Amino acid sequence: MIATGFAVTTLLLSVALGKSARRNKIKDSPYECGMLPIGESQPRFSVKFYLVAMLFVIFDIEVVFMYPWALTFRDFLARDQAAMVFWSMSGFVGILLVAYLYALKKGALSWES
Amino acid sequence: MLPYYLEICVVVLGSLMLCMELFAGRRSRAKIAMVGVAGLGVIFALLMFAVCSPGEDLQYWGIYHFDKWAAFYKGLALISTLLVLVMAREFAPVFKHYTSQDEEKSGIGEFYCLPIFVCSGLMWMASAKDLVTIFVSLELVTMGFYVLVAFMRRNVGSLEAGVKYLILGALSTGFLVYGIAWTFGVSGTFNLEELSVVLAGDDIPSAPVMFAFALLIAGIGFKIAVVPFQIWVPDVYQGAAMPVTAYLSVASKAAGFIVFLRVVDPFLAAPSIREPAIYLMVFVTCATLIYGNLAAIAQKNIKRLLAYSSIAHAGFLLMALPALGAAGTIAGPGPESAISFYLAGYLLMTLLCFLVLTVVRVATNGEDLTALEGLGKRSPFLAFAMLVGVASLAGIPLTVGFFGKFFLFNIAIQNAMQNGLWIVVFLAVLGAATGFYYYFKIIRAMYWEGSVSEGEVTGLKVGRLAMLAIILLVVAVFFFGIFPAPLLGLTL
Amino acid sequence: MTIIDLIIIIPILAAVAIGCGGSARVLALAAAWANLLLGLVVFVTLVAKGGDEMHFKSSWVLLHSPELTLGFAVDGMSGVLVLLTVIVTFCAVRVSSGDLGKGSGKLYYISLLLIAAGALGAFCATDLFFFYAFHELALIPTFLMIGIYGNGREKVATAWKITIYLGVGSLILLGGLIALYVSLSPPGAPTFDIAKLAPSPGEHPLSAEVQKWIFLPLLVGFGILVSLFPFHSWAAPAYAAAPTPVAMLHAGVLKKFGLYGMLRVAMPLLPEGFEAWKGLLLVLLLGNILYVGLVTISQRYLDRMIGNSSVMHMGYIFLGIACCNSIGWGGAVLMMFAHGISIALLFALCGSLRERLDTLEISRLGGLGGSMPFLAVTFGFAAFASIGLPGFANFASEITIFFAAFKDAGEMGILQVATILALWGVVISAVYMLRAYRSIFQGELIGERYPADLAQSMRLPVVLMIVILLLTGFFPNIILKLLPNLFEVL
Repeated sequence: MIATGFAVTTLLLSVALGKSARRNKIKDSPYECGMLPIGESQPRFSVKFYLVAMLFVIFDIEVVFMYPWALTFRDFLARDQAAMVFWSMSGFVGILLVAYLYALKKGALSWES
Repeated sequence: MLPYYLEICVVVLGSLMLCMELFAGRRSRAKIAMVGVAGLGVIFALLMFAVCSPGEDLQYWGIYHFDKWAAFYKGLALISTLLVLVMAREFAPVFKHYTSQDEEKSGIGEFYCLPIFVCSGLMWMASAKDLVTIFVSLELVTMGFYVLVAFMRRNVGSLEAGVKYLILGALSTGFLVYGIAWTFGVSGTFNLEELSVVLAGDDIPSAPVMFAFALLIAGIGFKIAVVPFQIWVPDVYQGAAMPVTAYLSVASKAAGFIVFLRVVDPFLAAPSIREPAIYLMVFVTCATLIYGNLAAIAQKNIKRLLAYSSIAHAGFLLMALPALGAAGTIAGPGPESAISFYLAGYLLMTLLCFLVLTVVRVATNGEDLTALEGLGKRSPFLAFAMLVGVASLAGIPLTVGFFGKFFLFNIAIQNAMQNGLWIVVFLAVLGAATGFYYYFKIIRAMYWEGSVSEGEVTGLKVGRLAMLAIILLVVAVFFFGIFPAPLLGLTL
Repeated sequence: MTIIDLIIIIPILAAVAIGCGGSARVLALAAAWANLLLGLVVFVTLVAKGGDEMHFKSSWVLLHSPELTLGFAVDGMSGVLVLLTVIVTFCAVRVSSGDLGKGSGKLYYISLLLIAAGALGAFCATDLFFFYAFHELALIPTFLMIGIYGNGREKVATAWKITIYLGVGSLILLGGLIALYVSLSPPGAPTFDIAKLAPSPGEHPLSAEVQKWIFLPLLVGFGILVSLFPFHSWAAPAYAAAPTPVAMLHAGVLKKFGLYGMLRVAMPLLPEGFEAWKGLLLVLLLGNILYVGLVTISQRYLDRMIGNSSVMHMGYIFLGIACCNSIGWGGAVLMMFAHGISIALLFALCGSLRERLDTLEISRLGGLGGSMPFLAVTFGFAAFASIGLPGFANFASEITIFFAAFKDAGEMGILQVATILALWGVVISAVYMLRAYRSIFQGELIGERYPADLAQSMRLPVVLMIVILLLTGFFPNIILKLLPNLFEVL
């Protein structure tokens, strides 16, 4: 009873109170007091943007990976495992370097071609 | 020499090849594949001779194990990658046709490099005994395959295969991660050895463990193509380039199986969920056997046929699983040995078939069964090699495929004698009999069909390296089909 | 390397040599000659030394657990079958000259030699595994031979049928063999060695119930391979479609593998298992003799008729096996030999008729005896042998089997009833064989052509086979003497 009553009441109230405002073209535009939007809502970007963005994300994440490494480096130093930790990060950076060279040489970073 | 240097060597080799592709001149660039083949050969030699005896069980940081299985599957990964490179070299003309005639733009150099990186992932998988390591290495492999499958960018089929593989692969990854999360939630550990201790305890709630188990099976089942996670297999196998298909069906499956064995083992060892887990496995096995074998009958495209046959083979392999954890009662090689032996044999015969098919593909531009017609006259040697491969897949005696099936049936029948699940044996017998039909269809195409007029009787061109590989594989299929001991000894 | 190893390896080597570019027919003939001589040497040695024990043993251990040895040896029973194989192989290679319309014939001879090698290996293997494996080896060559060189419009369907049938049969058999070796092996030492699996007399490690259920897949598996009723429908069309030498080898030799398996593996290792299914087996073999016999009478084509008659005679051999005494089993082995030779002879003659005539439909042939007297006479011999007229080995073996069934019979059991019913089979075979003979060779010549008589090259093998049939028919003891004490297990 209460539940049904509540539902009916809210529905009726929303009809009674929720009068929609006046509509016109200005009101319907995305930014009522801004610039008028021009063109399509989903313009085409050059695929180069994606390439750059992807490369950015990859290298960014890999740099993030180095922070915890740098933070724990002292602990490993204390435990006399510095060589292992150092070389593993070197390997990581080495692979990164090859990947970077690859991207560079293949022209992924040159905007013109 | 420490075992994980092997993976480092492989990665270094891959990077080296990539640098060659970048900086070397046109002439030395042609040798990238040769460098890869030679490098992998050297690393395989290192695995055989330089790394410590696999009798010991070495552990590093709790996430990397090196035992006999690890060594065995690393060997499989190396050999299959090596042969795939040989195949890719042979396949280059078709490949250029669908990308670009220009050597540099065709990306063929990268096509040689990627399998090397995938190989490092496969080798790492063989050593992973920790759910996180398993996940990371599995992803390394899958990422490589995402690219490889879609590599022929001007071929619609290849692109379609790429998209399918990507989407379904991502889905299965989701299952796997979710399963790992549940497992960790229940047991509080990622390490499989600790996991088996925890699961063996009495106070483990069986429902969430079963749930985690099912999710893990779904995740890894995708890699080894068992029903109902096989949907991607036919399309991807058909669409991908021939060497990639071979690589998928052999290396990805082998590595998937070692992981599968390692993950399933602690669950089957746990008394509280052993029984439902086995029933789940039996259900999957039966479905895989039925689906793979029946669907293969109607195929006209060879790659698609081999795709379904690869599903069927996964079904045969799964037969041995219920014997896991019931150790000491099996006469003959245990389930792990039988599966490993079968996978090694499967590698030999499948790669043999694909090598021949690659040659035929390059020469005739066809992948349907009709492309093989008259091969018996055009090139008796290739036809014979294909005959050997197919006979072995069908499980004709005195080939390695027969011993593989034999060991698996041996286990399945002994299982059935204990637990009464004869349905598996029954379906496997039916499946193997069906196999005769669809494998013999290939033989029929080669020898019965196709009247080649006199002028056409010319041998197909086969590269020297590919020829050598084919001969070696034929010899190996026969050799291990008569003397299985050397190969089986590695897995015992 | 013993003489037996040589016999098995010669055809394989010859096949390899042909594949590498040797002259196909010369090599195949050389291998067949060599094998024939070696087979005779083996047989003579066995006669001299007695057939009770294994001779010419050789073995290479391939695996230790489960124990797997590539080993060969012969005793009396396998010696007889080896002799049969080399004779039929020789004749098959000799007669296969006219068949080669298509291709270079390389594949043809390779397949032929591999079928022979498979049969020889299976008969001589001392190891359960290779016993099975060698037989399977013949599957692909048979498939190729029927598919490529076969005759008739239905050859494709027939090739599939025989392959699937035999494939399924072998797989069922494999299941049974695995169950057998698992349960009979000494504890902790699984082995495939047939000798080591044999239970010591009097104390069988398995209960009757277990034996019963292991015996069933063996019976069905072997039964399919031997075309036991109701699994017989592959045989006649396959022999009709197969090229002559393949029909000779398959019907004459390879089909004996299943019977040999019954005698070598199923019966001695699982005696109580047999008892459980004895009634069923008797009913099925009567199906072979009577039902298939009647089917044979109604055949319209000569090749189908001969194929069906071969299926029918399998029933007698099963009857001999079901007698479960040394006389019956001796008779069964003798019958395998006699039937192998006589059916090969019939197929050889039928093949040469096919080459000369447009049709093999019996009602459209007639009066051929006039233009081809040699063929008519030899076909007559073959037909009489097949019916089992006295003087031929077939008669000796049939009579042995019938006596064996009544050997210890104090009263009428099912075996004796079955035997009496089976006797009618002799009448049936007389009906179809004589009718066919009369219709084809006697009476008015139908048609205008006068076909040529049997080619010179065919005469040696044909005469050889007839002589052997007569020889063993008058002196069946040559063979029977090798057999009696084989089966002391019972």
